[in-house]
Formats: sequence, C-alpha cells, structure tokens
Amino acid sequence: MKPFRTAALALCLAAPAAAGVDEAIDRHVLPGLAAFAAATETLAQNAEADCRPEALQPAFQAAFDAWMRVADLRLGPSETGALSIAFWPDARGFTPRTLSGLIADQDPVARDAAAYAEVSIAARGLFALEMLLYDEAFAGYDAESYTCALVTTVARDLDGQADALVTVWAQDYADTLRSAGEPGNATFLTEDEAIRALYTQILSGLQFTADQRLGAPMGTLDRPRPARAEARRSARSLRNVVLAAEAAHDLAAALAEGLTDGDLPQTAAAMERVRAAAQAVDDPAFQDVTDPQARLHAEVLQQAVRGLRDAIGAELGAPLGIAPGFNSQDGD
Amino acid sequence: MTTRRGFLASLLAVGAAPRLGWAEAGDPSYIAAARDAAGGFALYGLDGSGGVTFRVPLPARGHAGAGHPARAEAVAFARRPGAFALVIDCARGMVLHRLTPPANRHFNGHGVFARSGTRLFTSEQAGDTSAGVIGIWDAEAGYARIGEMPTGGIGPHDLRLMPDGGTLVVANGGIATDPTDRTKLNIPTMRPGLAYLDLDGTILDQIELTPDLHRNSIRHLAVRGDGLVGFAMQWQGETGAAMPLLGLHRRGAAPVLATAPLADELAMDGYAGSVAFDGGGAELAITSPRGGRLHRFSDQGRFLGVVSRADVCGLAPDAAGYLASDGLGGLISVEGGRPAPLARLDCAWDNHIVAL
Repeated sequence: MKPFRTAALALCLAAPAAAGVDEAIDRHVLPGLAAFAAATETLAQNAEADCRPEALQPAFQAAFDAWMRVADLRLGPSETGALSIAFWPDARGFTPRTLSGLIADQDPVARDAAAYAEVSIAARGLFALEMLLYDEAFAGYDAESYTCALVTTVARDLDGQADALVTVWAQDYADTLRSAGEPGNATFLTEDEAIRALYTQILSGLQFTADQRLGAPMGTLDRPRPARAEARRSARSLRNVVLAAEAAHDLAAALAEGLTDGDLPQTAAAMERVRAAAQAVDDPAFQDVTDPQARLHAEVLQQAVRGLRDAIGAELGAPLGIAPGFNSQDGD
Repeated sequence: MTTRRGFLASLLAVGAAPRLGWAEAGDPSYIAAARDAAGGFALYGLDGSGGVTFRVPLPARGHAGAGHPARAEAVAFARRPGAFALVIDCARGMVLHRLTPPANRHFNGHGVFARSGTRLFTSEQAGDTSAGVIGIWDAEAGYARIGEMPTGGIGPHDLRLMPDGGTLVVANGGIATDPTDRTKLNIPTMRPGLAYLDLDGTILDQIELTPDLHRNSIRHLAVRGDGLVGFAMQWQGETGAAMPLLGLHRRGAAPVLATAPLADELAMDGYAGSVAFDGGGAELAITSPRGGRLHRFSDQGRFLGVVSRADVCGLAPDAAGYLASDGLGGLISVEGGRPAPLARLDCAWDNHIVAL
C-alpha cells in the first residue's frame, strides 16, 4: 500500500550493474509501477467511498493513464501479471460473460477482495472495471446493488495486483535483471541478455500497438471492426496508442542513456510524427474507421507507430547488434 | 568462400572407412543443430552436462535430427520444405551420404531410426497435395530409398518409434502447404491427428481432436516407456484464443488435453515448439520460443509451473529433469521446476535437441 517507499528502498540497495539496465529499471519501470500502484490505491479508496460510475470514472481514467506507462512490459512478474490487470484483446468475450455470470449468480466473491484473486483473469483488472463502469449492459447500477459491490472489489483487487507487481519487481526481478551474467542466474546468462530483454519489450510493445490497438479495429478494408477497439467504452483507444508510444520512447531513452550517448534524434522525430498523426484522428474510440477518410487517418497513425519502432531499431537496436529471436521467428 | 557443392565434395571425398560407435564421438547424450556466431551452421554432440563432444559443420540451417542407435551416425534434416538430409559421421566429422527425397516428396524436418539401426524412417509430404508419407531408407545399404508408406493425414511433422519397437507414431499436422514457400493453404478445413503405423505401413490407430480444436496443429511428439504419447500443438486460429498446447494420448483411450491457467496459456502465444518427458517420466514439458517459456505438466495433464527463458525451444530429458536450449546459445537444466544454467555457447541453438 506504500508503493513509493518500496521502490525507493530498492533503489538504495541495488548494486551497480550493466549500463542501460539500471537506467531502464530506475527511471522507467519502478517509477512507472509505483505511480500505477498509487493511482489504483486512489481508485480503490474512491470506489469504497462511492462506487457509482459517474463518481468513479475519473479515477479509473487516471489509473488507466498510469498503467499505460508500464502496460507493454511483458517480462518477469509482468509476463502474466499484465494479463490479469489488462485482459485484452478478448475476442471470445470472456470478460462480459464472466461478469454476467457473477452478477446472475450474485456470487459472494464480489464482496471479498482477497478471494477475488481466484476469479478468472477475464473478470479482473481494468477491462472488467471498464465494462462495469461504461457498458450500458452493466453501468446502470445503483449504490446498493450487487454490481456496485463488485466494482469496489474489482478496484481493490486491482490495487492488490499493482502492489504485488511493485513488490516482486522491486524485491526480486529487478535484481534478476541487474545480476545478469552472474553465476546462478538462469534467466539471463550474460549481461547483454538483460539489455536484450528490455529492448525486446520496446519493439514488441510497439508491434502490439500497431497490430492490435490500431490493427484490430481497422480490420480489413472490406470489413473494419470498430467493436474491437481497445478500451472503446471509456473512449481511450486513441489515448492508449499515444501513451503506449510515449512509454516505448521513454524506455528507449532510458536504455540509451546508459548505453550510448543517450541521444536518439530519429526516435524523437518519429515520436513527434506519432503525436501529429494522432491529432488528425477524430474519434477517440476509433468508431469511425468504417469511414474511408477516418480509416486513412488511422492508417497514417499505424505507419507512424511502425516508424517509431523502426527508428528505435536503427538508433538503439542496430548499435547493440540485437537481432530477432532465432526460434521465435522461425515457426515450425 | 566455400560453396555448398565444394563443401560436400570435400567431405564426401573421404573413402570407405570402418564404422565407429558413439564412444568415438565423445559419447554424446544429445545432438542439436545451431547457427554459429559467424553465420555458419553446425551439428553438435552434447554430453549430459552441456559439454560439446563434437561439432560438424552443416551447409544450411537444420531442423531436427536422428541418431543411429549404435554407430556414430546422425541424420540432419533441412528445414521444411526439405530438399535434402545429410548422414554425418559424427566421429570423423564428415558427410557419409546425402539423402534426396524422390520426385514430388520433401522432408518435413524429422526422422527416426528403427531400433535395429537397419532402417531410417523420414517424415515427408507430397509436394502437390501435402499428403503425408513416411520414407523408408536402408541404413545398411548406403541409405538407399526402399519404399514409403502413407501417414493417413496431411502435413506430417514429428514421428517417433513406440516402445514396442514395431510401431511408429506420427503427428499429422493437418496443414497443407505450398511446396515452395510454406504458405498455409487449408487453415479453415485442416484436420490434425495422430496416426499409429506398424513398420509395414498398416495404420493401426488414428485419432483426431474435437472440432473446436481442428486448427490446433499437432507437430511434435514425446513417448514414454509405457507407451504414453505427449503431443505438442501450434494454434492456427485467432490470436488470444488460449487453446491448450499439450495433449496426452494412450492407444485405445481418448486424448487428454493439458491446459495451463489462462494468463500462462495466453503468454505461450499459441505456440509449442518442442515437447519432452523429464528423465524420471513422471512429468513432461513444452516450450514456446515466442512466449519465452517452458510449461511443465504432470503425466495426467495437470499444470505444474513455468520456467521463463528467452527464445527457449529445444527440449530433451536429462538424468533428473530436462535439458533446454535456446536461440541465445544457452543450455539450461530444469530439475523439479528449478532452472540452472549449464553453458552458454556463442551460437543460436535450433528448434530441437535429439536425445541419443
């Protein structure tokens, strides 16, 4: 519940390690997680005070903003931890189905935040909350309802997840990265492997933004799929694209500071192009991608995100000599 | 620069020599292919603690291999669609034979020797229809092609000898591919399955998965001493479907699917690259290079846990657990779910480790 203190403690105890890794952990990952944990604490407290949608939506938006700074990290505790905080994409509709089941059964787990950790990850985290707070099938509840209790519990469980993520990162996984190459480290057998792992997060995160956050609603020219836009109910789809790109840029800058002279001019210019392309998009939820002109704007934004990925690859990846995975790219 | 033709000619030029056993190749426990730092390819022999017992250059990227039961001979298969396989004298480091599939056939990356060592069986498919066949080669007569038998399915991949020594189990992956570029042609209608054949080609048993799993291509196999077969799958449907990637089958019974918790299943990215039982046989594991993780299951299909390692793919039993290899050159032992680094070579280990 005191995420900032945990993170600060880790900073003091950490031994010096591979250049770049410390910067990425101390400037990007741990502060980002700590800020997210603070935002979910506020969200949970607000829910306990008033769990109705209109009262809780601002804190939900703030927590989601904080999440986007670390949302695309998928290593260590975040590998599966990110999925129970942000269960998306949900092509098979697990989230509404699971929530509807809980509500139909009036399942008592909705009043027990500790037990809620055992519920399907599809009914936990930000996207479960979004469904409950914004979707008309759920959001019409009043303060005395089962759904209101459910919202409070999901918010408290989310804060518990955030705290757990901060703790495991700060007390365990940060050291796994920092001790890369030391005897007994079976995750990173050399120092370079930790840098590679962090760098890979940047590229795969931007790939996910281009292919899923933008690609999913764009669908094909013949069949756009606006209903597949990420966080469309809370009208965050466009905002998430920009925040994800900024998070990738920030992590790249942190790595670069330790590894090179820290200057990434092409990357900075590519980030500006992402912001400019985002300005041209009208609908923050991408619901207008059925219109050819609006779709074009989404395509330009997608190209800009890929341009940012390419710029980071050229300015950071190429000097490090990092190539894509030998087996993960093969497929057989 | 050495051309492929010159490379083979120089290695083939060595005349007939007495056949040597595995002891002459350093008594390896495993063979595995890799790409070296300089960009060349090689076949390695590895001992039980990850030490290199031999290294033989290969002219191209390999996929899996097969080790002769007695002689220090390994067959290295090219990647799909494979136009050749090389029989390598691992003791002398030279190519003994180059196997070329007949017209309208190509290798699918896997093969296995008969227990006697007299026959080599290779996974192949017809170029035009992707119909599966097992090629039969006479290892006592210079690896002459002496026949083939249908696998009863499309796009076979791995095949293994069952413990009775008289039955083969084949993973019919179900995917029809373009003969030139691996483009998948039949995803909406694919029907993966397992087939059991005797060594004369009679199909003894065949299973298919339930219709909801028909896009889960069965690709790799592990067989336990009592005939329990573990099969690893690669999902060809929508991303995020979180389908099970491991199944268990015993002849005469229905297959059992082994599922991981939803978040772990999603983190595998719908892809299992290798499967192996552990040294004791009480559990088995699959690897996902895309997810950078290894999932362990009991022999009943219960999820036991995860080991994270970037680009991990190769997997084989070792004395007390597993040996895993990865594209960063790492060799890692996993015992009781705990990983311990054995070695890191300046190479990228290819998809599979073959236990000898």
